[in-house]
Amino acid sequence: MRIEDHPVLEFKRGKKISFTYNGEKVEGYEGETIAAALHAAGVQVLSYSDRHRPRGFYCAIGNCSSCFMEVNGESNVKVCIEPLQEGMDVKTQKGKGEIV
Amino acid sequence: MVKTAEVVIIGGGISGCAIAYNLAKKGVKDVVVIEKGYLASGATGSCGAGIRQQWGTEMNCKIAKMSCEFFETANEELQYDGDIEFKQGGYLLLASTDKEHEQFKKNVELQNSLGIHSRMLNLDEAKKIVPHLNTEGLVSTAFYEKDGHLNPFHATEAYGKAAERLGAKIYKYTEVTGIEVENGRVKKVKTDKGDIETKVVVNAAGGHSQVIAEMAGVDIPVYSERHQILVTEPLEPLLEPMLMSFSLNIYCQQVPHGGFIMGRGDDTEPRDLRVTSSWQFLDEMIKTATRVLPPLKKARLLRQWAGLYNMTPDRQPIYGKVDEVEGFYLAVGFSGHGFMFGPATGLLMAEYILGEEPTINIDMLGLKRFESGDLILEPSVV
Amino acid sequence: MKNVELLVIGGGPAGLCAAISAAEAGVDVLLAERDEWLGGQLVKQTHMFFGSEKQHASVRGVDIGKLLVKKVEEYKNVEVMKNATVLGLYEDRVVTIQQDGNYVKVNPKSVIITTGASEKTLVFPNNDLPGVYGAGAVQTLMNVYGVKPGNKVLMVGAGNIGLIVSYQLMQAGVDVEAIVDASPNIGGYLVHASKIRRMGVPILTRHTVKEAIGKEALEAAVIWELDDKWQPIPGSEQKLDVDVMCISVGLTPLSELLWQIGCKMEFVGELGGFVPTRSDKLQTSLDGIFVAGDVAGVEEASSAMVEGSLAGLSASSYLGYKIDVVKELERDYLNQLNDLRSGPVGEKIRQGLAKALISEQAANPGQGS
Repeated sequence: MRIEDHPVLEFKRGKKISFTYNGEKVEGYEGETIAAALHAAGVQVLSYSDRHRPRGFYCAIGNCSSCFMEVNGESNVKVCIEPLQEGMDVKTQKGKGEIV
Repeated sequence: MVKTAEVVIIGGGISGCAIAYNLAKKGVKDVVVIEKGYLASGATGSCGAGIRQQWGTEMNCKIAKMSCEFFETANEELQYDGDIEFKQGGYLLLASTDKEHEQFKKNVELQNSLGIHSRMLNLDEAKKIVPHLNTEGLVSTAFYEKDGHLNPFHATEAYGKAAERLGAKIYKYTEVTGIEVENGRVKKVKTDKGDIETKVVVNAAGGHSQVIAEMAGVDIPVYSERHQILVTEPLEPLLEPMLMSFSLNIYCQQVPHGGFIMGRGDDTEPRDLRVTSSWQFLDEMIKTATRVLPPLKKARLLRQWAGLYNMTPDRQPIYGKVDEVEGFYLAVGFSGHGFMFGPATGLLMAEYILGEEPTINIDMLGLKRFESGDLILEPSVV
Repeated sequence: MKNVELLVIGGGPAGLCAAISAAEAGVDVLLAERDEWLGGQLVKQTHMFFGSEKQHASVRGVDIGKLLVKKVEEYKNVEVMKNATVLGLYEDRVVTIQQDGNYVKVNPKSVIITTGASEKTLVFPNNDLPGVYGAGAVQTLMNVYGVKPGNKVLMVGAGNIGLIVSYQLMQAGVDVEAIVDASPNIGGYLVHASKIRRMGVPILTRHTVKEAIGKEALEAAVIWELDDKWQPIPGSEQKLDVDVMCISVGLTPLSELLWQIGCKMEFVGELGGFVPTRSDKLQTSLDGIFVAGDVAGVEEASSAMVEGSLAGLSASSYLGYKIDVVKELERDYLNQLNDLRSGPVGEKIRQGLAKALISEQAANPGQGS
């Protein structure tokens, strides 16, 4: 799902990074967000609402809060603006966030 | 807009809407409510949304109990098509000093004598109800499981719609600009959308009650004080009851939506009609709240806002007529608990205006008490 | 508490130009940007801009962004805080900022708010399914991160963003099945629309979304036609097999900070929602608080840049900086704005601004004339 040839843009991707998504190893690039890396890997469902509806991102720039996931044990992380880091533990969030 | 009305109520908060509903239910035609914003846009909508019966004066206890019992069946009684979100998770009041502990014991005794089955809980018992409570610095707690939370917007809407079904008219985004008094009698309410002739005006204007009273040439011993609140992001259920501490001057609850709503009292807050917010509140609130409930350190703050407490010298409301101006009635000075008193305010004021036998005699809450100096101070206010 | 002369909130086209303009006048500027980079949404604008040379016409948005960033970074009197989200703007003018997990307080003498806008959404069954994305989101995904949003797209909205993003989707090798718009007319520039039509994409006016279909993510979309009264015509349904729906139905100002500090706000539909009332030189109802760009009313990035320059100038004057050519500069910026808003395309904006403008005196009651 990555764009390789583009008439106007050239994508200089950073170094390859691996992280886990629901326990499975996924690869992305340094400099991209968690949401971008997951989307490139074919993941669209980021969370399930407390009425069990699947949720993806909507605005992709940190405005709308539709993209919450659990990252390194922390709930309600806006993955559309959270930079991807080596070894991150990313999980589908179910329901509202938890603080304990 | 109508030209005449039997009763004009100024203020579309819970008090105004509940009075309108009760009057209309008792058969009064032509009840009008004037609201300068939308329903619950003033003190009602900005309040902490708590419902409590653990008070320190007999009147406050009685009024609160009556109101709470109404809320238990309000969805049906008001035939509301939504849900007022009444959640009875209790109020856990925290005592930090021996003096406070003694006061709570006295309050509990009074409450019990009035049918409010609150009880003292030691810190271990309190921890069972709120496992994450930091009990350091606490002496004891008082608890009543029938206290709780209610959504101010839904509750006001429910009253408003019910009143309208019974024939009352509610004019929103309409501002009262004057009250005409002739020969010591109320004659007309002037608004920016037209004038309404009436013999009965009810001042239920919350934080703006003094401004409205002045329009009728009446001086009432109230002042409005800013109180600030914040809400966190919605989170999974963690805190069942409302937590409240009078010595720390805070309250904090998790509402059904999942957000934690919390506020604090502060003597240095401005006493004008400002409802702006301050960073000083935020800093202090967060410091205290995270000490009382440490997991909150991880919660993200969503929003802060402010509302007005309409304070009286004894922190009890002013109900009733004004001797100098016939037909001018007051339901003001709720001192921060007007929302939870809404149902009682509605019923008792309607009975009073119509000269009916009162369910609870409210004579002692009249304006006259301030002249005679017979004040019983409510000790339990944040 | 950090004392600063001028705080610019937002490092998009308006904020960058505001910072440049004030810095040029000699003002010490602090620029707070919530992202890790400057440029705002210019970073994803791969198309060439319209307007005149002064607004960098015929240069791609992303390159304009780079030019502005370079310029800002050249000024020694501009301090840039990146990764810095402004949390609150308080009654005493104190601004609270979160940067890299730290909570910072700033005490500015003047503030220019250039927080931009956010994408609106549209109501239809299952509009919350993954695969239903804002058009800007899709643009970010494609143009910033080089990731395809999906394979087949339904674009909802034929304004400029809808048209431009459709074109960019095709550039990225994604099929656009159709563009629908509820209005009887195409809102965007006809030059964009013709280009898209030539590429074989139908633009269906008087059409809207009936529902989205899918279990875990979007699998199809049902559209239907609207009659003269904007009511759907039963029987006109068409099912499109798409895995992405792009919602491009406009933007609304990100005005939270303005509400918080208590600027007078007015609902102006033509400008995207609630906007602050302001003087023609962009001061709000509060002394020393200025606005520029989409937060003042949703427009093109070109006008955001000019507004930024104008607001920077106004703030400099407010702070007491004497600029020799201030009158000429003001006139020039106002003329540029007039040009950008001229003609039939600018009509909506002109109508909207007429409702949001207040006289200099009303905007600034403390100072008189």
